[in-house]
Order: sequence, then C-alpha cells, then structure tokens
Amino acid sequence: MSTASFKFDKADRSLMERLFEPPAVGKISPAASLVAHFLLIVWSLFVLFPIYWVIITSFKNAVTVNLGPFYIPFLDFQPDLDAWRTQFNTEPNCNFLGIARQFGLFFYNTFAVIISPLAEIQPMDPQICKIYHAFTNSIVVSIFSTAFCIAIGSMAAYALARIQYKPKFGNIMMFVGLTVLVIFATSYAGVPWWASSAVALALFFFLVRAFGKHFKRSLGNGDILFWIISQRILPPIVVVIPIYIMFQAVGLLDTHLALIIVYAVANLPIVVWLMHDFFANLPIELEESAQLDGATRLGIFWEIVLPLTRPGLAATTLLTLILNWNEYLFAVFLAYAKVQTMPIMVAAKNAGEKGIFWWEMSAIIVIMIIPVILMAILLTRFISRGVLLGAVKG
Amino acid sequence: MAAGSPKIPVRFDKIQKYFGTVKVLEEFDLDIAPGEFLVLLGASGSGKTTALRILSGLETATAGRVLIGDRDVTNVLPKYRDISMVFQSYALYPHKTVAENIGFPLKVRKVAKAEMNSAIREAAAQVQLEDLLDRYPRELSGGQRQRVALARAIIRRPSVFLMDEPLSNLDAKLRGYMRAELKHMQQTLGTTTIFVTHDQIEAMTLAHRVAILERGVLQQLATPAETYNDPANLFVAQFIGSPPMNTVRGSLEGRHFRTNGARIEAPVGGRVDKAILGVRPEDCSVVAPARGTLKGVIYTSELIGDHTLVTVDNGHDKLIVKAPKDFNGNQGDAIGVALRREHLYVFDATTGKRIR
Repeated sequence: MSTASFKFDKADRSLMERLFEPPAVGKISPAASLVAHFLLIVWSLFVLFPIYWVIITSFKNAVTVNLGPFYIPFLDFQPDLDAWRTQFNTEPNCNFLGIARQFGLFFYNTFAVIISPLAEIQPMDPQICKIYHAFTNSIVVSIFSTAFCIAIGSMAAYALARIQYKPKFGNIMMFVGLTVLVIFATSYAGVPWWASSAVALALFFFLVRAFGKHFKRSLGNGDILFWIISQRILPPIVVVIPIYIMFQAVGLLDTHLALIIVYAVANLPIVVWLMHDFFANLPIELEESAQLDGATRLGIFWEIVLPLTRPGLAATTLLTLILNWNEYLFAVFLAYAKVQTMPIMVAAKNAGEKGIFWWEMSAIIVIMIIPVILMAILLTRFISRGVLLGAVKG
Repeated sequence: MAAGSPKIPVRFDKIQKYFGTVKVLEEFDLDIAPGEFLVLLGASGSGKTTALRILSGLETATAGRVLIGDRDVTNVLPKYRDISMVFQSYALYPHKTVAENIGFPLKVRKVAKAEMNSAIREAAAQVQLEDLLDRYPRELSGGQRQRVALARAIIRRPSVFLMDEPLSNLDAKLRGYMRAELKHMQQTLGTTTIFVTHDQIEAMTLAHRVAILERGVLQQLATPAETYNDPANLFVAQFIGSPPMNTVRGSLEGRHFRTNGARIEAPVGGRVDKAILGVRPEDCSVVAPARGTLKGVIYTSELIGDHTLVTVDNGHDKLIVKAPKDFNGNQGDAIGVALRREHLYVFDATTGKRIR
C-alpha cells in the first residue's frame, strides 16, 4: 500500500472526512455527536414535559385549567393549592393516626380472612380519608406482592438455572386429562370437589408410577421456562373475569390478599425470566466450591448466589414494584371499594358528566410518582456495582 | 500439623462416563496410595478433569465405583465425601473477605467462633496470608488469590485434596514458586492429593506418580522418572519431555532400524514395516556430516541459555538436538546427528505400542 493514503496531518483531510470520522478510537465523529445530542434533547423534552405538566397542573384550579393552556406558573397563571386542599383538608381522618390505624387494619383483616374457615371475625372498616386510604393500600399491596413474587420467582429461577428437570410429556398430559375429568365430575355428576380431586390425585400418582417409565418424550428446562413466560404473553384482560369468579368463590373479593396474590402471580413470569439469566451467568465453580465445602443448597443460595446477583435482584425488584404500583386492570375488578389503589383514585377523577378534574388528578399523580422515585434512588445504589470482581481468574 | 493428618487411599473402580453418546472415560481403574501426590496428566479433552469431578461428586459416573478410604462414595453427595478442591479459577467468594473465604468450610459446619478464628489464622499462616485477612479477593494479586483458595482447602483437614489445574492462571515465575510451595505443603500435611494438569513439567516436578490419560484411557501410571525413561507407548513418549522426544519414521528389520537410506542399530529386534524410532534431544549430538548416524541440514538453531536447540532436517523428519551453548551453525549447513544406542526407543507406528 502506498503511503499517500495515510493522512497523518489534519490539514490533509477534507472537511467531510473530519466531520464524519471519529477523532480517536472510542469517540464519535462530530457529525454523529451533533445528531446524537439533538436526538437526546428531543427525547428528554418528550419524557420530561409530561412530568412538568402534571406538576404545574396540580397547582392550578378549575378556572386556570379551563381558560388554559398556561405553561409557566406566576407568569401565565397564579398557582394555588386548591387541588391539594381537596385531597387533604376536606375529608375527616386525614392524619397520621388514620394511616397507623389503616396498617393495623390490614393485618387484622388479613388475619380475619386466613382464619375465616375456622372462626368468624368481623373485618374492620377503614376510617381514613380517601387519599391516605388509597396510598396505604397501594403501598401494602405492592410491597407484599413484590416480596412474594421475588422470593418465589428467584427461587424458581435458580432451580431452573441449576437443576435439570425432565418432566415426561405423557405425565403432563395425564395430569391435564385428570383435571378435565375432575371438572366434569364436579359440575355434571355432582361429585363434591374435594372427593373428585382426591381421587384424581391418587390416580395420578398411581398412573405415573405404573406407566411413567414407558413415556419416551420429556421436556427440558428451556421448555419449562418458555411455558412460564408464555403466561405473560396472554393479555391480562382475557383472564380477569375468570379470576374475578375465582376470588368471588373463595370470598376474597375486595381484599388486600386478593390483589397481593394476583399481582404476585401475574409478575412471576417476569421475575423468573429475568432472574434466570442472572443466575445462569454466575460462575458455577463458586457454587460447586461451596457444595464441596459442605453448604446446603439453600445455604448456597442465600449466602453465595443472592449476594452476587444483588444488582439483578435490585433491578428486578424495582421493575416488579413499579408494575405492581401502577397496576390498574386487576384493581378495577378486584378492589372496587375497600381496597382501592392509587391508579383507581386517579381514574376516579374522571367524574363523568362533570368532566375531568385535571388539577385533582394531577395532584394524585404527583403523590403517586414520589414513592417510585424514592425507591428507584434507593435501589440504583445496588444496581450498578461490579460484585463479581475477583471471583474467578487472576 | 503434619502429625494427625489422615492418610486415606482412593480408588477408581472401572469408572465409565458418557456425556450423551460421547465417551469420556472408559474402564478407568486407578489406585491411589494413602498420602500419595498423584498427578492426572493429559491434553484437554482427555477426561482428566472429568475423573476428578467424578471423585469430587460434582459429576456422576455412568458406571463403576469410587472409593475413598474403604467407603464406597459413588452415590454420596459431595459434601459428605470429606474432600476439598482447588479450582482452576480459584472460585473465591468475591463478597467475602479473605478470612471469611478461608473460614467458610468451618462456618457451614457451625464451628464455634473462637475455634474458627484460630483455624483461619493457622491456615493463613501456612500460606503466608496473615496480613491480608481483611482484604477482598478483588484487592489481591493472582498468586495471593491462589493461596486463599489453598488455605480454604486445607483449613478443614480433609481426607483428600483435589486440584484442578490450580497453577495454570499464574504467570510463569509465580507458577514455579507456587509449585514448590504446593509440594512442600503436601509433604508436610501428608494428605492424599490428586492434581490435574496438562503441563508435563508440573506433573514431573510434583508427582509421586503420574497417571497419563488420553481420550479417556489410562496410558501409563508410573513415577515421573519411569514415564520419562521408560515410556509405555508413543503417546507418553511424546507427551513427556520438553522439547518432546524426536521421532523418525522407518522400518524395523532384524536388529536394525532403516530410514531414509540410513541404517541404525536398534536396541530391540523384530520385523515391523511401519515403525518409529524415538530419541530424546539430549541423547542426540551434532557431529560432522560424515560421522553422523543421520545426515541432514540445519533447519534452525535456538540458543536457550545453557544449551542450544538445533533442529535438523534429514529430508524425511525433523530432529531437535540439544547441542552445547557455543554451537555455531547457519541455516542450511550440512550436519550429522549421532544417536546413543542405549537411549533409543522403537514404537509400532500403527498401534503406537512400544516394541521391547
């Protein structure tokens, strides 16, 4: 190659070359930098404007909203606290005592539900203003459902990452067939559900023992994982009515427990899917070494695996928390009165013929955003840290 | 410390291992004496690590038995086998300090705190880590991490040590140092040790006995000196020694080995059409072309320091000759190679077996 094609001096290069070539390895060219910054600014405006708009709208009132749009407080319009006062001042029990009582009520009512097959305890009724009520409901439901979901989901994901399962296809089919038989026996032949289930279960174990070894085809961990994530492919609206009926049958409608169970189950696939990847990427020698050192499987999970997947765990927790916090569809069906959550409060401000109370809605939205931001700040501390540094190799 | 250490024999009894349809170990029999330092030597894919993992319990054998002491541990969980293992990657817990790493085997056994601390101190002292107990693995150098892994293995005084290429991630100088440390430690503790490596120098320097594996089959089990001076087959002959044994293709006719026009007096007799003559570089010498057993030209010569390695091309094979350090020859010069008759080996080229 001739040396003429090398342009060592800046002066040898044309303007276009200088614009479109990166000045150094690991940097981007001036033209690309310009485009990137432009796009980022547009994107930031797109993302930040709604938040700005919600915040200023919460300081407007009926008049300033309806005469609007006004963009800049104090210049365009005079902000006031009308929307906020409506939330906190016009109703009784809007104080911290109300919140404390509400948390007590949560545990008392959950206990009442759990013990209901044995003893009848009258559940307490909430005595608290609407906004605090919805806020405490949201907190309780999202924290507990997230905790259940993460605990169960991460253990399932770890098992799928480290243990080879080989369920026989024939056995699964037998289970499905027996389930269908139970449904028929219960609904058409009038057999009590507990009797038919018990017989079916016994029959299932018998059939698996007898014929299980003759089945050839079996599924692997990948199939199980896909089956789990496929639960999430189904739109929730499809299953919401069956779920409503199920909770009606067991008398759990409009309780915290119903929401916690549904949210935990609904987000389980996401947790399993995400955590599986984090677990699978851990160097297996660490666990093997701990195994040889005498640790139990649960001990290894708790003491070695979980600390090392903390960034992934924090990210998954945050995601699940946000999903639960924002959930609307199931809440509308399952929590219509006593356990209303924040998203329902927001939607309720669309007051039919009186129009939408934008200013009050905005105030509630601002209240709803704050805990999420706090959680995010708290959890990002764990997310970006090289915990695996020094685990393997020199 | 040396005193009460248990000396436990280990036995592989007709171990077979398949991964799907791939055969990794075939009828693998190996008896390891109490207190022995045994090295499993082989290229990658030879099944040596699989054998070690079967002994550790992290892998299950398709058939056969594993015995530690007089107990059959074939179906026993790893944690009940009373063994400890040093991994190639060290497998230190990155979120624990050096002290916590070393003490982990005792912690899971719920050993009392005071006892554990003194054990940690003692184990750390053995590998000169006392000053680093509060550090995290990421703050240590490769050699220090290696020593943490060793300390974690010795703290429990297991019946058997397993080491899976523990030195291969260290740089050359440190490797030599750690090799000596390891040998000294094993000698002091007297614990039965099984050490897997692909590095024949490690095998030669460390082992009481070397087991050489190739494609899942045990090729030779002998002391390092025996594997070097009396290789069982061509594979062992070429695997052991650096630079490897020279091979000359030809045929064995009576008491003579014939190759490329040359006739070499062989140490054995017989008639093999396709034979291979093996000779180690240090048993060859460069001489004037007329006086050499084999004649050729210099292909290249490399000064190592205390000697020069001369590669000679005789038109048929290339031979490496260990020549004096002041050897002077240019590429292409005609040269002769003299072979010492008592240090020649003859192998059957088709089976690789030694002809004795």
